Order: sequence, then C-alpha cells, then structure tokens
Amino acid sequence: MFAFIVRRLLLAIPTLFGVLVVVFLLLYVAPGDPVQEMVGERADPETIARLRKELHLDEPLLKQFTLYTGGVLRGDFGNSYITQRPIIRDIRERFPKTLLLAGSAMLLASVLGITIGVLSSRHPGGWFDRLGLGVAYLGISFPVYWVGLILILVFAVMLRWLPPSGYGGIKYLILPAFALGSRSIAFLARITRSAMLDVLGGDFVRTARAKGLRERAVVIRHALRNALIPIITVLGLDFGYYLTGSILTETIFSWPGLGRYVVNAITRRDLPAIQGSVLFLSVIFVLVNLLTDLAYAKADPRVAYS
Amino acid sequence: MDPALSTDVPTGRAVAYIFDGLTRFTPDAKVVPGLAKSWDVSPDGITYTFHLRSGVKFHDGSPFIGKNVVSTFQRVLDPKTKGGRGWPLYPIKGAEDFAAGKGQTITGLAAPNDTTVVITLKEPFAIFPKLLAMPVTSIIPDNPSPGFGQKPIGTGPWKFVEWRHDDFLKFARNPDYFDGPPKTDSLMARIIPEMSTATAEFEAGNVDILSVPDEAGKSWEADPEKKKLLSSAPALRFWYVAINVTRGPLSDVRVRQALNYAVDVNTILSAVMAGRGSVAAGVVPPTLGGAEASRKGYPHDVAKAKQLLAAAGHPNGLDVELWAATTDQSPRLSQAIQANLAEAGIRAKIVQRDASSVREAARKGASDLYVKEWWADYPDAENFLFPLLYSKNKGPGGNVSFYSNPKFDALIDQAHREQDESKRNALYTQADQLEFNDAPMVYLFFYKDVYAVQPWIHGFTVPAVFNGQRWSDVTISK
Repeated sequence: MFAFIVRRLLLAIPTLFGVLVVVFLLLYVAPGDPVQEMVGERADPETIARLRKELHLDEPLLKQFTLYTGGVLRGDFGNSYITQRPIIRDIRERFPKTLLLAGSAMLLASVLGITIGVLSSRHPGGWFDRLGLGVAYLGISFPVYWVGLILILVFAVMLRWLPPSGYGGIKYLILPAFALGSRSIAFLARITRSAMLDVLGGDFVRTARAKGLRERAVVIRHALRNALIPIITVLGLDFGYYLTGSILTETIFSWPGLGRYVVNAITRRDLPAIQGSVLFLSVIFVLVNLLTDLAYAKADPRVAYS
Repeated sequence: MDPALSTDVPTGRAVAYIFDGLTRFTPDAKVVPGLAKSWDVSPDGITYTFHLRSGVKFHDGSPFIGKNVVSTFQRVLDPKTKGGRGWPLYPIKGAEDFAAGKGQTITGLAAPNDTTVVITLKEPFAIFPKLLAMPVTSIIPDNPSPGFGQKPIGTGPWKFVEWRHDDFLKFARNPDYFDGPPKTDSLMARIIPEMSTATAEFEAGNVDILSVPDEAGKSWEADPEKKKLLSSAPALRFWYVAINVTRGPLSDVRVRQALNYAVDVNTILSAVMAGRGSVAAGVVPPTLGGAEASRKGYPHDVAKAKQLLAAAGHPNGLDVELWAATTDQSPRLSQAIQANLAEAGIRAKIVQRDASSVREAARKGASDLYVKEWWADYPDAENFLFPLLYSKNKGPGGNVSFYSNPKFDALIDQAHREQDESKRNALYTQADQLEFNDAPMVYLFFYKDVYAVQPWIHGFTVPAVFNGQRWSDVTISK
C-alpha cells in the first residue's frame, strides 16, 4: 500500500511537469499582454518596455521557462504582477474557501443522492422511484448558474431565509453548496439506483435475507457496500471537478474562492498567478484521484494495490 | 490598494476613501484643495507652490509633512516600484528621467519646509492640479512596509479596517479627518461579480447603494416603486468606435464619415443601453468646459452614407473588421453597429475576443474598427482630446485611431500652456471641431451612471468622476 502511494506520487511528477510546460506555452502564444494590463489604459512605450524588461518578458522563451521553473523548484511561485503579493499567499487564502464549498457540496450530494438512489431502488417503478427520476432529470439538465439564480431569487429575495451571497457562517454556505452539488445529487441518485438494482438481485442478498436479517441491514450493510465502487468513481470525479472548477458558483454567490481568483488572473493576464494556481489545482486533482483509488480498496477488499 | 499601483476604477475608488492628494475632486467634478490648502502659480505657469495644511495626521498618528509628498512621488516613479502608472507626474521637471532610472532625484520637486512643496514643470501645463487628484498621486507616509497595499495608511476620511479578497473592503470613520469626519461610522464596499446577484442583494436590503447594471435599467425604470430609488448623473465615460485611420479605405475621410452616418446612435442608445447616455458630437462630454453644445452628432442617414462611399470609390460597399471585447455592453453594441453598417453596404465582420486581447491588437494597429469605452481620469476636456487623438499617443497612449493631425496637435499644445480657463476651453472647442470633421471614430454616446439608493440613505450624490464620491456626507436613518 505504502509503496503504491509512493509510486503514484512519483508518477505525478512528470504529469505536473507536463502541466507546467503546457500552461507556459499556452500563455506564451495566447494574445493579450500582461504589461499592458498593468499600466492601464494610458501609458508610454518607454514604461511598457521598462516593465517588460524588469519582468523578464523580453527574454527568449526558454530562458523565461527556466527562470520560472527554477523558482517553482525552490518553492517560489513568484508574485502577482498586479498586486505584487506572493502567489502562494493568495492561494493559501482562497483554497480553504473553495475546499469548504466543494466539500459541503459533496457531503450534501452524497447524503441526498445516495439516499434517493437507495430508496428508489427498493421499489423500481414505484412513486418514489418516479419522483427520484424527475428530480434527477431536473438536476442534470439545469445549468448551475440558472439553479443558483433561482435559489437566490426564491430563498434570499422572496423568502428572505438566507443571504443572497457572500462568505461567512453556515447560512452563507447552504445555497452555493446546494447549487454546486445539484448535478451530483442527480447523478449519484441514478448511479446508486442502478448499482443497487444490480446487487439486490445477487445470491448473497438472497442468502442474507434467508438468514433472517432485517431488511435495513440487508440493504445498507450488504447491498450498498457492494454497490459502492461506481458511487466512489462518481464522487471522486465530481469532487476533483468541484475543487478545480466551481468558478460559476463562486461568481454567482460572490464566494471568494480560488476559481474566481484564476478567472481574474486570466482576464488581467497575471501570468504568475495563472501558472501558480493551475499548477496547484493540478496537484489537487492528482491527489483526489489517488484518494479515489485508495477508497476503492477500502470498499472492495478484492482490489489490491501493489 | 497601493496608490502607486492603482490602475483600475475599483482600486481608484478605494484609494480615494483612504488617501488624500494635494487636490481632490468633488462629486460634481470640481477640483478643490486637498492636503494643499492653496497653491500659487508663477506668471510663466512653470512653478507651482503648494501650501500644505498643518496638523494633518496619517491614520497611524504620524504627521503629514512636505517631505511625504516628495517621497510619495519618488516612489510612484521609482522603477523599483514596478508601477508603470507614473505619467500624471511626467509634467514635473526631471520626472521622466527619474522614472527611466537616470538621476537620483526629481529635479523639479522640493519641500523647502514642512508646509510647502514647490513643483517646477518642464513646460507650462495649466491643468496640472487636476492630475494631483488622481489615485496614483495620493500621498502616503514615508517608508511604507512591503505589504502596504494590503494594509494601507493614509490621511483620508476613512481608515482601512479589513480587506477580504474578492469579498469585501471595510473602512472605519476617521474621527480626526481634517475636512470633518464622515457622518457614518463605517463603510463597506462589497465585491459582487455577478450583477444579478448584486441586484438581489439590494432587493434583499443588504446593500444600501447599488450601481444599477444596464441589464436591469429598463425594468427598474418601468417599476414605479423602484424608479423612486434611482438616481443618475452624466458620467465622464465615452463610448465610441475607434477607426484606425491608417488602414486601407479607412484612411479616406469620406469613408469614416459614411460610417458615422450609417450608425443609428439614437436607436442603439435606447435599445442597447436602456437610454443611459447622451449622443456624442465630438469627444468632449457636454458637462465639461470646451464642449460645443450647439453641435449635433452625425445624423442617421443611410443614403448619405452610401453616397459618400460611392464618392470614395466603394459603390459596392466594403469589408471591415469590427473588434469588440466580450465584456460589458461591447458584444451587443457591436452587433447593433454591424446591422446598421450592413444597411449602408458596409460588411463588418465582428471579431470578439477577451478585453486584453482586443486591447493589445488595437494598440498594435491590427484592428479596423474597435468598439470601446473611455473612462476619464480627471474632469477636463484634455483627458479626452489628448490621450484619444494626440499624435504622440498612438497605440498604448490611448490613440487607437492612430489619428495624426498637426493642426489638432498644435491646438492641444497651445491649450496645455494656456493659463486662462476660458481661452483654454475655446482651444478645446476648436480642436474638437477639427477632429469631428475628420471623423477618426464613430461617435456613440456619453454614458450616464445610474445608482439605486435605499430610502434610508441620505446625502448621496452620483459622482461625475469615479473617485469623486467619498461618502463623507452620507447619513443613514434606519
């Protein structure tokens, strides 16, 4: 197990280096000029040339890349061109907020999604199953920004139960977590239902029932446990996706997370901020994938890592 | 919120709460004394002597003295600051050399004592005091810490309390403010990227004052309850389509005039902008000195446009690229303009990119037409005529029309030196008329800012210049 983790982490290094190269090249060829964003609407060519030199943007591509990679290897992601703050500090400030939002969305999605899925699978074609199907269709079809705005309109403007946006206590978390998690709720409900239906027909379930176990124990301890593999796959993928891509939700709910930071950095061509955060998010994605794989082994003892 | 690094409007606003310049703007865009209680100009217009207020303290308790002005301006220009926003100080003798790393001091800047600052300019520049009210020229204490922008210390009406990035900025009343402390205890600027969310926050009563988005404008005007909350004022913001006068058929003035006749600005203004603005006839907004009130914009006249095109040798119309950013109203404006141009036989292909890419291309001279907005830094006709059309400002300086007319340049040069305001305004009027005939752009409109103000807020006026509202006179009754 330990060897497996170490090997996976070592394999992540070339992946991350690849990310570094691709992001660097993309930004190099992309139109838009960081220096012009720094100086604003009115500037003289001398100032622009001077800043370009100071930021080493006039150096050849390879030199720029070595300078940047050298910094990264020393743990220095550079400073933002715009605010001159260290990128690391910006990320450290924003990532926990993104993590909180993504984590809450996942928690909400697993509790609601798996519950709906399990209950639906108990009586396929029954009224709850059909209701669950309807909810799932809605959850998958509606785009997150639409769900977000409707939630704000209903719960914040009309009912005034919750604040429309911002970052703070649990009150502020409910709407964005629900908006972000709505797709996963729907998806998990469907996956859980079909995985459960597969398993519930199995011999061991009949045996469990024959032993006289209570239905609850049969469904939760025996059936659900065996249906977990596809559920974990969905959870892992969605969690990685939420950690790296909750930009729309963060924007609609004014959530000060990493997604908005990246978008701002891109619009202002803040190169170190874009490179640093994309690299960081790649690390997160690799780690979430690793955790997902480890969770498989926990859920199914037949899965072994060596 | 480091003044030396401020380039955008939101930062500039926050800087105006915390800091003071030697001068400042009132909400109706007048220049009034700030940290300088008065100033004298030598008869030749070269030497400015600023008499500073005494007894003013920074928020950390240290006294404000003349030396702070010198070190603040040096820091703005110092190459090590990596600010790149030093141009408002370039009129000072030696400032440009200092910014280029040549010279240890700014030769034209001195503080002979604690309450006097003497500034010598390279050449007369009558509107110089207006440039000292810009965010970048705000005065900061000596030896700022490296993270100064995160924990700014100024002399202004509001003390910095907290900045939660991408969430809010919080300020507390400065009880010792020299011009009288603000009438409320605290000020909070919420950062809400999505306009529908901002509108929802206002409707939920969580936001006191909201800059109403264009999208919401029409429905709010139509709702009698909401209409009562609206308050508006002409802004120093100008929407236009820069015509690159160096590219192909666009170098012909008849083609450029045809473009102006083809575009139906009145309809675009009401349909796309919910009527928020006034049609432009020239680049000087009607609220500023030098604007010619009697001049009308190019009328919408498709036949005339076709006739001019034919005379210029394009009887079958012509093809142009119309560049527009993906932000604000640019996409919708460009589509409306494209439809108008098509009626006159001008086939415009819309090139839509993110703002940074479009700006870069236009500054390089790679765009034919470019839909854009100009947001004034200071309330003076010069801030429109000079950056947008003076020949030396081609490209990054702001003149993306690449317009170059020696007569126009000469008028602006003369206006720069002219000390008498009414004579200066007359020169602006002449210059504006000149370029209006040359049509280096399609004149669209001057924007009108609309704010929604909750009934419990009193004393708020919509500022004409972005950093003209400092919230000192606003009161709450709730």
